[in-house]
Amino acid sequence: MGLEIDNVAHSFGDRLALDEVSFDVAPGVITGLLGPNGAGKTTLMRIMLGVLSADRGEVRYHGSRVGERDRRTWGYMPQERGLYPGMPAGGQVAHFGRLHGLSRRDATSRAHDLLAELGLEDRWNDRTDKLSGGMQQRLQLATSLVHDPTVIVLDEPFAGLDPVAVESLSETLRLRARAGRTVLFSSHQLDLVQDLCEDIAMVDRGRTVLLGNVATLRASSGRRQLRVHVKAPNRDWLLAYPDITVASDQADDLRLTLPPGIDPLEVLDAARAAGRVVDFGLDLPTLSQLFLRAADRTLDPAGMR
Amino acid sequence: MRAWWRGTSLVAERGLVENLKSRSFKVLTGLLLLLSIAAVTIPQILSAGGTRYTIATTGKAPGALVSALDAAGRSADFSVKYISRADANAVRLAVHDGDATAGLAGGTLFTSATSAGTFPVVVAQTVVGLETTRRLSEAGLSPQQVAALQSIRPPRQVVVGRVDNEGRAGAGFAVGIVLYLAITFAGTAIATTVATEKSTRISEVLLAVLRPSQVLVGTVIAVGTVTLLQLLVLATPLAVAVQLTDKIGLPTVAAGDLGLAVAWFVLGFALYAFLFAATAALVDKITEVNSAILPVTIILVVGYLLAITVVAADPNGGWSIAASMFPLTAPLAMPIRWASGEVPIYQLVLAMALTAASAVLLVWVASSVYRRALLITGRRVKLREMIGSHARS
Repeated sequence: MGLEIDNVAHSFGDRLALDEVSFDVAPGVITGLLGPNGAGKTTLMRIMLGVLSADRGEVRYHGSRVGERDRRTWGYMPQERGLYPGMPAGGQVAHFGRLHGLSRRDATSRAHDLLAELGLEDRWNDRTDKLSGGMQQRLQLATSLVHDPTVIVLDEPFAGLDPVAVESLSETLRLRARAGRTVLFSSHQLDLVQDLCEDIAMVDRGRTVLLGNVATLRASSGRRQLRVHVKAPNRDWLLAYPDITVASDQADDLRLTLPPGIDPLEVLDAARAAGRVVDFGLDLPTLSQLFLRAADRTLDPAGMR
Repeated sequence: MRAWWRGTSLVAERGLVENLKSRSFKVLTGLLLLLSIAAVTIPQILSAGGTRYTIATTGKAPGALVSALDAAGRSADFSVKYISRADANAVRLAVHDGDATAGLAGGTLFTSATSAGTFPVVVAQTVVGLETTRRLSEAGLSPQQVAALQSIRPPRQVVVGRVDNEGRAGAGFAVGIVLYLAITFAGTAIATTVATEKSTRISEVLLAVLRPSQVLVGTVIAVGTVTLLQLLVLATPLAVAVQLTDKIGLPTVAAGDLGLAVAWFVLGFALYAFLFAATAALVDKITEVNSAILPVTIILVVGYLLAITVVAADPNGGWSIAASMFPLTAPLAMPIRWASGEVPIYQLVLAMALTAASAVLLVWVASSVYRRALLITGRRVKLREMIGSHARS
């Protein structure tokens, strides 16, 4: 049993930020809290960490309401980074370790280990404001992981990271999850984190719209897509399949959404009969496509109808 | 409570280390030390060997006058130089040109309009004394009888005023000055620290582990300790000088009055520190700090002026009583009023209790502001938004 978010509601004045959100976060898997900007992700995380209090509902850990004592063993990285600009990098990490209850010696040795893991070992004595933006991001991560938290909550940890940094942060989180920690992070870049999340909770306008295991959700959506690049003069060969909808149609990339009854290979054969097939593939829907359908949004930046 | 104190002390420790390491602390403290040493030593150097007066006389100064003035100089720590001039006009000119402090010609004592001090009086008394002795001797009195007449002293003067006890009055004014200085130093530092935490968003990381009251009390302890260190630096040269020489006279202060002074200092410091902290939590950008804390600074200045003027002049007037009871002015006004010796003990206790209660209330208010202001960024937070809804502090 891990972390349970149970009917949590919060409003800022008249504006309802969270409307009875419920989901569980299991230990040992990486869970993504996904949704567009303004969906209520940050508010929910602040409530989990006790920075804000919920109007209704509660957050439970191991079956009982989360208190200050629990939270001291948690790690939190807020969306807006906060570090003491004038402190040396190592001292900063050790300070947060001690705030979380570590002794001075433990905090220092863990800080050393963590900076080494994150590639900052030679920056121990450098002032924080002398580090590059990317290093400060990693230092911020170090301050939230120094006490080896049982629950790790990260608000938009991937925002603004380059692909190398995304991969290295993903690896850091995978390591923690494999060690049995509860890992929850939020993101509005759904497709960027598609491969990292094992479980997801999708929120939109303060409500949960989709919950569950990513692989299962994608496979069971019944919305496989056939991607085919065919050198044909027109799309007339598609007329034989009235049930197929065109998800996107660009010169070299035609995406077809196949209803459950249709065999993709049969459609591919039809395409080959019409012209030379340069490239093809069978794709499961992306997380953003799942989101758009679940949230019942019509506006579609990813090319859905 | 133990967990609360652990977190608070960690915040305080961090703040203290960062403050002590900062360049501004080193510069300011060095400057204070230099100023303090200068303030103590320069008057000592200037007055070394006592004051020197010059007296001009027509012809050579009479031996009796020289020995009498030299004797007066030995007991009052001044020395006299004697210059002679041809006639009364030349003596007058010497004084006029500043060559002599005073000039004696026949029955006339010339003095300068500007820098004569008490020297002409001494000269006049000496001349009168010498002439009296001469005439008394002429009248046939024995030297013993003359000496007996000269030993007559005027009655001892005792100043009867509002001040009951010099030591207590000194302590009262000292609390005012030290508190005013300390709060001026520390207030800006506290406000800057809090506003930095808010604007750099460290506050959100902190609030996930700590309560706002821990953050604020820890910060105030850190800055308070630094300020105390700076005050000690400021006071050290004075203390050394008092130990080494007997030229600086400090009134002796009873232990009870000293304890009371310290208590008022702590209360006043805490009250204003949390007021500064709460105010700083309202700002969004670090550059807004100074304008935000201006009202608090004004209250402090007005309180201080009120204390050293109105309260000192009329300790038991209506305004004085009000100022010494109102928490924001009590730490400045009550110690001065207390020096009058006419304050009922219940008023003292009540004023202290009110100030302490206000300080605690301000911790709570500041905590609540700190937590709620965290969530509002991009603009100055209005006080109105801070009042009304609930928050954990």
